[in-house]
Amino acid sequence: MSFMQPSPVKYACSCGILNPINKLFFCRHCPKLRCGFCVCHEIESHFCSNCLENIPSSEARHKKNCCANCFDCPCCQHTLSARAATVPIVRKPEEPKDGESATEATPSPKPSAMPTTKKMYYLSCLSCRWTTRDVGIPDQGVATGTWPDKECLYQVRFNTLMEYYQSLVLQEKQEKQEFLRRKTPKQHKFPSLTDRTGLTVSLIRRQIGWSDKSIPKTKPINIAAAEASAEVEALPEAIFTQPINLRNITTVAQRHSQPADQPEAVSKLYPQRRSLWIKRSLRCRQCEHNLIKPEYHPTSIKYRIQLFASYHVPEVVMVRCEQPLQSGQANAIFLKFTNPTMYDMTISVLDVAPQDAQISPDALLQACRIKEEAITSSPLLKTTGITLARQNSIREVKREVRELANATIVPLEGPFVLNQRDDSKEFDEDVQAPTEEPKFIVWRKGNKVLIRLDFTPAAELQSGNAVTLGFYMQYTYVNTVSNTPDKKEPTTHALYSRIFIEAGEIANAKAN
Amino acid sequence: MPLYESVMQEKPPIVLDIGNAYTKLGFAAESHPRKIIPTEVVLTTTGETKLLFDYAGTEELYDQIVDFLQTIFFKHLLVSPKERKFVIVENIYGQTIIRETLARALFIHFDVSSVLFVPAHLIALSTLAVPTGLVVDIGYSETTIMPVFSGVQIMAAFKDHSYGSSAVQEEIKRQLLATGVKERLLTPSVLEDIKVRTCFVNSFERAYKEEKQSPPDVEYGICDDDAVISIPGSLRESVYELLFEQNNERDSLPHLILRAILDCSMDVRRSLVESIFVIGGGAMVPGLLARLKQELQHLLENDSYYATRFHGQLQFKFYQTIGKQNFTAWLGGSLCGATDLIQTRSLTKDSYLRNEHVPDWSNLCDNRNGG
Repeated sequence: MSFMQPSPVKYACSCGILNPINKLFFCRHCPKLRCGFCVCHEIESHFCSNCLENIPSSEARHKKNCCANCFDCPCCQHTLSARAATVPIVRKPEEPKDGESATEATPSPKPSAMPTTKKMYYLSCLSCRWTTRDVGIPDQGVATGTWPDKECLYQVRFNTLMEYYQSLVLQEKQEKQEFLRRKTPKQHKFPSLTDRTGLTVSLIRRQIGWSDKSIPKTKPINIAAAEASAEVEALPEAIFTQPINLRNITTVAQRHSQPADQPEAVSKLYPQRRSLWIKRSLRCRQCEHNLIKPEYHPTSIKYRIQLFASYHVPEVVMVRCEQPLQSGQANAIFLKFTNPTMYDMTISVLDVAPQDAQISPDALLQACRIKEEAITSSPLLKTTGITLARQNSIREVKREVRELANATIVPLEGPFVLNQRDDSKEFDEDVQAPTEEPKFIVWRKGNKVLIRLDFTPAAELQSGNAVTLGFYMQYTYVNTVSNTPDKKEPTTHALYSRIFIEAGEIANAKAN
Repeated sequence: MPLYESVMQEKPPIVLDIGNAYTKLGFAAESHPRKIIPTEVVLTTTGETKLLFDYAGTEELYDQIVDFLQTIFFKHLLVSPKERKFVIVENIYGQTIIRETLARALFIHFDVSSVLFVPAHLIALSTLAVPTGLVVDIGYSETTIMPVFSGVQIMAAFKDHSYGSSAVQEEIKRQLLATGVKERLLTPSVLEDIKVRTCFVNSFERAYKEEKQSPPDVEYGICDDDAVISIPGSLRESVYELLFEQNNERDSLPHLILRAILDCSMDVRRSLVESIFVIGGGAMVPGLLARLKQELQHLLENDSYYATRFHGQLQFKFYQTIGKQNFTAWLGGSLCGATDLIQTRSLTKDSYLRNEHVPDWSNLCDNRNGG
């Protein structure tokens, strides 16, 4: 199948955006098509894509979304790998040296020194051959961790600035409150002793056991303002005479991967902690049910909840057109319908939207309410007294489906049945008993049906223009999840979705 | 766990500085942005990469902004934007449509709790803890100059010009094409790389010397194409001359700075002269400040227009940024987001949803008394 190519068959999502079926989801509770644009994305778990370690979200936030053990090459952004090297250590019998100074240890003049070796680790990039030794980072005795983080040069100044502004804003706020307090009229007709300020008042208040009236005013801390100077860094004279070596100058991408200091020289590059990745779960904005929920563990690629549209909505595949496309000439297209569900479907192809098909708003409300109750009835919330006013953002403006169709179709005379999916049937030898089929059905096997649909491209199309035909596919969908607890029977919905098919381009007019 | 997080803990606000070329993103109260990424979106429909602010209609811009923010939240910051506070560093003369569309995407699509818009020039000055300064922002597509006195932006004296990093890149391209380099080799990323790694601002003395030994040429290998092009030394020193071009318009960078100062009232001019603050990614080129200072001093002494208007001994003084110049405005936003201002001055979701409009200083409706 056309897995890598963009599909010519597009489904209109309930938000109005066209997508191929493999990018769509199907909310069983609404029940409607959803796409990546109209669902709510949530972060399920953080993990490192290199060591596949799961990192809890609080730890991830603490570590600034970086893996503790894995590093990226600052040169080419590839992952660095730890390499071991054996370093000879010269150990004097009386004062043993520790591993840190081992590298610069010189052979001692004493012949009695015992030469031993120790494993030391450094980081190396297998892609561009960059190593931590290139920039003078000492080797480490442990393979993982203990690589020092580079401190931000102006961190102290930044913290001072932050404290300064915080106290400044706080002071402003207090002054405003004080001002408001004075402006508001007195609540009591007679001034109470405890309302005043002064030594007696604070004494009385303290005796009653009230808090002190005058909150100590915060004073903005003093900060040394930056000083402008007339001295500016002049261009080094060498730049006019010395040839530059591009290998020693970092590129923009290298600088930006180290945003704190953005070094210009390659020798200042430093291994960067690897960014974490996330697993996402998707939630329907309307009914707040999960559409996609991945398994928690990073090594698993399975899902706990997966409501991909291709598991629920009949798939339409364009097979071919009967004749070369000519503007204004009747043509026919062969479409293959596949039923992915375990229930038979009745499908009709229409050119106007069916009136009675869509789900009633009551049922939708029902679905929403059930979910809400489930949330608010959680005992934890009741005890803590927190009301979770879950506002679902149905506010996203629905778009009109862009009218792309420039061909008129002849709707099929009647509905046809698409058999349920049955994997065992694939291997059956016996041919189905021939039944009376409507004449638009070309063949049928298992859960697949090939139909022939007549259409006429619009007369004003020029050669080379793309022909798009659009139709409404109405199908019955058997919903196995029941919203109400008492009803155990699966409910059947008649749903429809709009489908647009790029049939191809108008062929060159025949030379006559 | 998610419940505990959302109710019990205060989450740090997200600070975004969406520039024309690069977007700086991170969390408030951090001393540097987490990432600096190109302001580009990869279109899901066609797979091509295009600039965020390259759009045909509002709908398209909205989709692109949503896509872009989606990548920021789920690829780079790895936090859910829902119920979060935001600080957006914005150009005070930025387009209303971009501002409105950004707010709509944040409030309606991503369901954020509040957005605080801060003007870039003013907030950049906060990283110095000084109230007065002439902020020169050399960006990708434009250079803007905004005098700030005692924490108030002097809007009437605002100056801008269309030369920025993109103009320099165009100049590199023009000069290289003239030497016979094939155009298909000179992609924007190659041009940017040449600009960043080889070019510099010439010194004042050399720039006006007729006869000079040009700096050494550079052999530049283009990664994707196995081609090696030669970058002449004259190009390396001359491309930034367009910032200081002498023409009858008198709108080169030193002229604009002097005119911005002259447009301010007389009492504040001296303090502005002594507090010039150059920020923006375009300001990171070596030799810029030295040249700018000499040009300014030269104009002050030798140009009759300025000589009659500026009096006394004036010495131009420059501030040093605490971080790198390209994220100075972001840093200001980060400082601002760390304070209580985020609670008091933000545009909350409720007040946005009331009339789906971002209050703007230029809009009369928002400026009426009690409005």
